[in-house]
Amino acid sequence: MEKRLIKKDALNGIISKLSGEMPVYAPVKDEDNVLFKVLEEGMEPLVAYSNTRNAPKNFFFPQTETMMRYMRTEREIKLSGEDGEAREAILFGVRPCDARSFILLDKVFDQEKYKDPYYIDKREKTIIVSLACVQPPYSTCFCTSVGGHPMSEEGADVLLTDMGDNYLAEFITPKGEKLLERMGDLPAADGSADEKKKELSESAEKEIKSHIPGKEIKPWLDDNFEHPFWDTIHQSCLACGTCTYLCPTCHCFDISDEVKGSDGKRIRTWDSCMYWLFTQETSGHNPRPSQKQRWRQRLMHKFKYFVDNFDEIACVGCGRCVRYCPVNIDIRKIVTDISKL
Amino acid sequence: MQKNPYMPMPVDVVKIVTEVTTKDIKTFRLAFVNKEDEENFKYLPGQFAELSILGKGESPIGIASSPTQEGYIEFTVQKAGVVTSALHNLEEGTRMGVRGPLGNSWPIDYLEGKNIVIVGGGFAFTTLRSMINYMLHEDNRSRFGNITVVYGAREPGLLIYKDELAGWEKRDDIDMYVTVDKGDETWTGREGFVPTVCKEVGPASENAVTIICGPPIMIRFTLPVFFELGFSKENIYTSLEMRMKCGIGKCGRCNVGEKYVCKDGPVFSLAELDQLTPEY
Repeated sequence: MEKRLIKKDALNGIISKLSGEMPVYAPVKDEDNVLFKVLEEGMEPLVAYSNTRNAPKNFFFPQTETMMRYMRTEREIKLSGEDGEAREAILFGVRPCDARSFILLDKVFDQEKYKDPYYIDKREKTIIVSLACVQPPYSTCFCTSVGGHPMSEEGADVLLTDMGDNYLAEFITPKGEKLLERMGDLPAADGSADEKKKELSESAEKEIKSHIPGKEIKPWLDDNFEHPFWDTIHQSCLACGTCTYLCPTCHCFDISDEVKGSDGKRIRTWDSCMYWLFTQETSGHNPRPSQKQRWRQRLMHKFKYFVDNFDEIACVGCGRCVRYCPVNIDIRKIVTDISKL
Repeated sequence: MQKNPYMPMPVDVVKIVTEVTTKDIKTFRLAFVNKEDEENFKYLPGQFAELSILGKGESPIGIASSPTQEGYIEFTVQKAGVVTSALHNLEEGTRMGVRGPLGNSWPIDYLEGKNIVIVGGGFAFTTLRSMINYMLHEDNRSRFGNITVVYGAREPGLLIYKDELAGWEKRDDIDMYVTVDKGDETWTGREGFVPTVCKEVGPASENAVTIICGPPIMIRFTLPVFFELGFSKENIYTSLEMRMKCGIGKCGRCNVGEKYVCKDGPVFSLAELDQLTPEY
């Protein structure tokens, strides 16, 4: 693996040069939020930010996406797919928890039998530059409980670690190494950088104060689909869907048609298991008719079903659902409470 | 990269048959516009496809034809929601879309060499019809043992595939028991509920598998009959329905526990269903 050092004051120049060659999406201040936006001339990425309000999943799985366009006449239909149109781009400044979410989303969208061409096309053409959490930003961070780490390189093509005066840049994948060629001459990092990183990594891990027994509750979930505990979570839930929309790993979507005259398009939009319409059938039957069942579905999907299918918890511990739930439902508390049953 | 699994293939509606006196169940015969699509659409009885009406959306429907019927595919559809209502308004000659085949099938390999009992109720007879035509085809008939069919509807006008039922009644390599809950003045056939008829017929459970599709109430009363006859849960199969969109296990709404009905089903044995969460 190539390891280089980037002087702190040189980083913006490098990013700015790259953004002249291809779109660079980076965290920028947007009113009260930090959001990923494409860098335009004169814009600088925020590097001293905690994390973006929205998860970066929308780069590969947009909130609304045209799947195909069509034209209808009496006897003909003309269809054209909207896949394969992604451009090469850089996603800069992704936090390790969010970078790890891509690995989990890959398991859904990039399966052997059914590949999702819209997701895969964008995923393959995007270079992910992660920014390690030397100081984990929130008290709600719990990545280490669900298989992640504040300085993890998982999901990253390039990992930047703030070492004080320099960034240590690790070029992890072939995509990352290709980016190095475009970044100009950078001095190589020596063994002392590795040592320093190790120290930072250990202290960062200690800074994660929030822990949940994510893996430990699986046997209980296996056996307790019917349990009085499930009556205790959902009462305050408004079914607003904020948790699922902000979640880096939630991937449910709806498909619908939009028509104007003889032209139309088929689009997909994010959907949420928190909504009753999600499973409402035309006959009137609904397998998950109450919010109790929908909350059970959300928790079970993340901590049991996804584990059954892919041997991973479908949660990266970013804490967004905890911070932004309007009625303070805390998935950490639910998981912890289950572990005490 | 492989073909985009979300793109419908163009088909022409070549024939529409109104199946029932209430006129809300029709069978649509669809022919592929492109030869290549037809060749790629390799399916087995029990699978389904997304019928696509551009401008309205898609609806997942079981394939009612058998792969032994070449040159077209058939779907029997009840008029219910936006897409199926639009479908019911189509005329022969219209062009529409099909995406599939999707899901697993009736367990053909497992069924080989066994006696097959088919139990259907009302309109839920579509993929069972596919299975029957598949088994009755001259290339396949010897692969299966006795075939017993119990098929019922509330009244004679609600039985679907009437011409085919009459044809099967005449054959000596399939035992047909068609019944209605209540006959009318023209009905000369059997009267009685499906569970009762199953009990009267009493198929032997040895080396036999039952495939059952119908309204939940029929299934609820029929299953005990088969348990009493000695059928194990491993040898009773059914097909589930759930709201679906993508049909390929990504959009997240048709899961029953860790299984997706679209991708891991829709066909499950009762033994498999026992392992899943009771949420369907």
